Amino acid sequence: MVLSTIVESITDFVVQEPKISGLIIGLIAAAIIASVINVGAMGVVWLERKVLGDMTNRFGPCRVGTRWGILQLVADAIKLFTKEDSIPRGADRPIYVWAPIVACITTMLVAAALPWGALNIGGVVYPLVAVNMDISAFFVEAALSLMAIGAFMAGWASNNKYSMLGAFRGMARMVSYEVPMGVCVISVAIMAHSLNIVEIVEAQSIWYIIAQPLGFVIFMIALVTDLGRIPFDQSEAEEEIIAGYVTEYGGIRWGLLYFQEYIIMLLGSVLLVHLFLGGWNGPVIPVISILSPMIWFLMKMILVLVFLIWVRGSLVRFRIDQVTDLGWKWLLPLSMVNLVWAVAVGVYFA
Amino acid sequence: MGISDVVPIPVVIDEELEKWTVWGRPLTNIWLTTTEKIHEIIDMGPIKNILNWGRKNSLWFLMQPMGCCGVEMLVFGCPHYDCDRFGIIPRATPRQADVLIISGYITRKYLPAIKNLWGQMLEPKWVIAIGECAISGGPFYDSYNIINNTSDFFPIDVYVPGCPPRPEQFIKGFRELQEKIKRREDERGY
Amino acid sequence: MTTANDVLDALQSAFPGAIQEFRVESDNRLWATVDPNKIVEICKFLRDEEDFDHYSGAAGVDKIDEDLFEVTEILASHGAHPVVALLKVKTPRDTPSVKSLTGLFWNADWYEREIWEMFGINFEDHPGLYPLLLVDDLVGSWPWRKDFKGYPDYNTNERVLEKINPDGYAEYKISPTEAEIEAGTVPETRPEYPTFREREIMELETESEMILHMGPQHAIVPGPFMLDLRVDGERVKKAYLDVGYIHKGIEKILENRTYIQGIPITDRMCYLASLSNNEVFCGAAERIMGIEVPERAQYIRVILEELSRIQSHLLGTGEFLSLLGGATFSPFQWMILDREEIISCIESVTGARINHSFVRQGGVRNDLPDGFAEMTRSALKTVVDKTNEYKELLLSDNIYRKRMEGIGILSPEEARRFGLSGPPLRASDTPYDMRREDPILVYPDLDFNVISRKEGDSKARVEVRLDEIIESCHIVEQCLDQIPGGPIREKVSKKIKPAPGEAYYRVEDPRGEMGIFLVSDGSDKPVKVKVRGPVYAYMQALPPLLEGAYVADVVAIAGSMDACTSEVDR
Repeated sequence: MVLSTIVESITDFVVQEPKISGLIIGLIAAAIIASVINVGAMGVVWLERKVLGDMTNRFGPCRVGTRWGILQLVADAIKLFTKEDSIPRGADRPIYVWAPIVACITTMLVAAALPWGALNIGGVVYPLVAVNMDISAFFVEAALSLMAIGAFMAGWASNNKYSMLGAFRGMARMVSYEVPMGVCVISVAIMAHSLNIVEIVEAQSIWYIIAQPLGFVIFMIALVTDLGRIPFDQSEAEEEIIAGYVTEYGGIRWGLLYFQEYIIMLLGSVLLVHLFLGGWNGPVIPVISILSPMIWFLMKMILVLVFLIWVRGSLVRFRIDQVTDLGWKWLLPLSMVNLVWAVAVGVYFA
Repeated sequence: MGISDVVPIPVVIDEELEKWTVWGRPLTNIWLTTTEKIHEIIDMGPIKNILNWGRKNSLWFLMQPMGCCGVEMLVFGCPHYDCDRFGIIPRATPRQADVLIISGYITRKYLPAIKNLWGQMLEPKWVIAIGECAISGGPFYDSYNIINNTSDFFPIDVYVPGCPPRPEQFIKGFRELQEKIKRREDERGY
Repeated sequence: MTTANDVLDALQSAFPGAIQEFRVESDNRLWATVDPNKIVEICKFLRDEEDFDHYSGAAGVDKIDEDLFEVTEILASHGAHPVVALLKVKTPRDTPSVKSLTGLFWNADWYEREIWEMFGINFEDHPGLYPLLLVDDLVGSWPWRKDFKGYPDYNTNERVLEKINPDGYAEYKISPTEAEIEAGTVPETRPEYPTFREREIMELETESEMILHMGPQHAIVPGPFMLDLRVDGERVKKAYLDVGYIHKGIEKILENRTYIQGIPITDRMCYLASLSNNEVFCGAAERIMGIEVPERAQYIRVILEELSRIQSHLLGTGEFLSLLGGATFSPFQWMILDREEIISCIESVTGARINHSFVRQGGVRNDLPDGFAEMTRSALKTVVDKTNEYKELLLSDNIYRKRMEGIGILSPEEARRFGLSGPPLRASDTPYDMRREDPILVYPDLDFNVISRKEGDSKARVEVRLDEIIESCHIVEQCLDQIPGGPIREKVSKKIKPAPGEAYYRVEDPRGEMGIFLVSDGSDKPVKVKVRGPVYAYMQALPPLLEGAYVADVVAIAGSMDACTSEVDR
């Protein structure tokens, strides 16, 4: 009785004050997304330390919080939050302070437009997405590249030679890989006849990894480059330029930049799952049919994450000129070939 | 300093407010706070235990091999000994490190450099002296180029003897540092 | 094959009267005191006519009783013949000056700078006589002279004066010792020269260039040294190297320890090759004493030295891979895991993981434990299997090959000119191995190949190391089969007092030619110990090798050298 009254009054409020209610709903959604991606990133870091440990005959964290070390990241976060806050002398203060914030904004922008799985209620699949834009695939791809801006700001403002080299390397890498990545997104969109990620997922009766394998490979390489992970981690190559663009960052400012990388890794794998691995598509699991799409989505995502970690454990780093070389001379022409293929196949099946 | 210095309110209200306390401290101290005051407040409450729990379980050390112990430091991070189990990982830049491992002889030429590394690390930070050389000069105690007593220059929390100590002793050193942090008995009082 | 007598005859006929004294120790050791005015001509003759193309180093000796300094130039050949010529030049103590050999041998530079800063012996015609190992404070007090008052030094830290400079960095001045003040030997005038920083800043050419400091603390340095790169963007224009950050004065300390006490100090010269260092120090004393080591002890030494080579190469290669692929690169961690197996084999004999102090003058400290052979055989089997796997893995890794092929190429001529030895030289198509050239212990009885490669790039250097691991396993297995029974130590009195004399003894360290030049005066302490380490030569060759490379390649080149800073600085 009380419940229905509350629901009624909320409905009335929404109808009467669409702007205010929209703002409130947006804030709630933002809070949910922020917590999901941050907790998710902590999970990714934990997963990486465990999986990498396993690959190298180690245990990874196993003392802090049960024998699985699940509280390790909490301890790290507490420590980073309570570290001294320092801005190096000679740094460009406003840019230095804003760089981690820009990185945060980037991840929020991407996360807002990405569907975070779906629920199957009574046979109808409802995607969990905060902002269901018509051009979300394109938007996400564009917003992902903003991460390089945050990194460049950090590197430029630090007044450190290593940081500056790292920032330049990051920028060069971003410029050369954004184009093939964008072309791959366009190929997918052509095949699905839509730029909306939800519609792209729904259009995948055959996963696009099978329909355009070349596109998948190019997108995967470009994604690893965008994430700045080995073999493409030139911007923070620890053995060459100390910590690259974050050399002068410490405490929670560094913590933010560091977590953004893992959040982007999470978002990137979600994007990959949606564009090429059929998103939440999969056979309906009986009994828990409501969660069935969610389970498929999470399984695919974790698979992609483990793959990314596997790559990190087994490859060495490219040199920066080799990276741009690969981007412009190989991936860009190949992505064009893939575009032609996508158009041809798309027209044939349409 | 009262609130009336910052916000234009009658002095009477200010005087009234100064009587209010939180954990035995005037409320105005908390409102118009500085970093030191925040630390004072945190030190009193149980929240400090939680912070120290986080700090002690996330001791990142600076990759800074100096001698024989540097080799064992490398092995300490690899399988068999695996410092990552305890949340201890190496960092390449002093800004992100919490623990400075003095893993060898400090020479006249290297003293300024290592002192600057220590200065570049952010608080809270700790030093562990590993090996005889870092403690007392070790086999080179009478050399013309060695600083014998490192503790004159660094607030050392844990001394790990050995020449070089085995990686197991590295782990033991770190465990002792963790205990010290937990009991708030470390040199710099965190 | 040329012998020492042939060389002596050639010298005497070419320069009559220039050889003041000579001693032919054996077929491959020639000692000669030569006329100081003719040293350059004699060396030129030896280099051009007699194939002495390997300048092994120089040692200064302070003969305070005779009021003389003696500089010994050590010359050898890259495989043409096994003779080592040690040419001594004498110079008065009050105005010491010797002719420089930098015009003949490129790598004489560092050796002469070291002698200058330690003894104050001036080298005429040396292009840049700047201090190498010492801090600027100490230059001018000539610490290796016998009358240096600052040694022993127990209270350095009490005399340190801290000063914070305007940039907020700490600077330190160390006041002179009381002994120095009493004796009045505090140098009033120090030599004047531009410091390391000033020298490199002077060479900056355009606005777009900058100096990028790699070190003293940096992920690529295995121990503190400063590698400064003058870069234009990502391209290295020139590299500058500053060493001496962990200079401990081991040679000075060894002069003040008895022969037995000296053994643990030699461990710490290079902590990855401590058994070879023990061997070279004890072997030099044995040469002077003229004792032969029992055969079982020789086998034990060979077994342990080869095991030590395996662990050193595993760590060196692993560390290098971690520079390319980050500390999370799995093969790096697997190599450390394999190394642990070898380490536990060595540990079962010596009781230590890295600093063994195991070899003694006249033998070894203790016998092999029971079950050592089985344990070692099984460990070797694992290592051989795994190493073959790594070779295959690295060969099939395209990114690795892209990074490594054609990087830091050293032609054979260049490698010889730089005075390199060990894996970097053998990777440049020069099969030069002390175990063959200057046979010691039971190496002549063993069957092994000297590994070499034609390419001379970073990839070849790593491959040589991996192949050497397999070869060393082969040697150890042979030794385990052949090892005879018997005593493990020759009867040597507890207080070792070699007769007056000199010896130059060299072994094949994991990193190359490790030699010790030992002078004894009949007392229980050596008069002079000069260590000729292989890494010293690598490091000297690093700056020219890095010119024109990318910043990322610096890692691939410097890492493939497998440097050990501790041995450079000593």
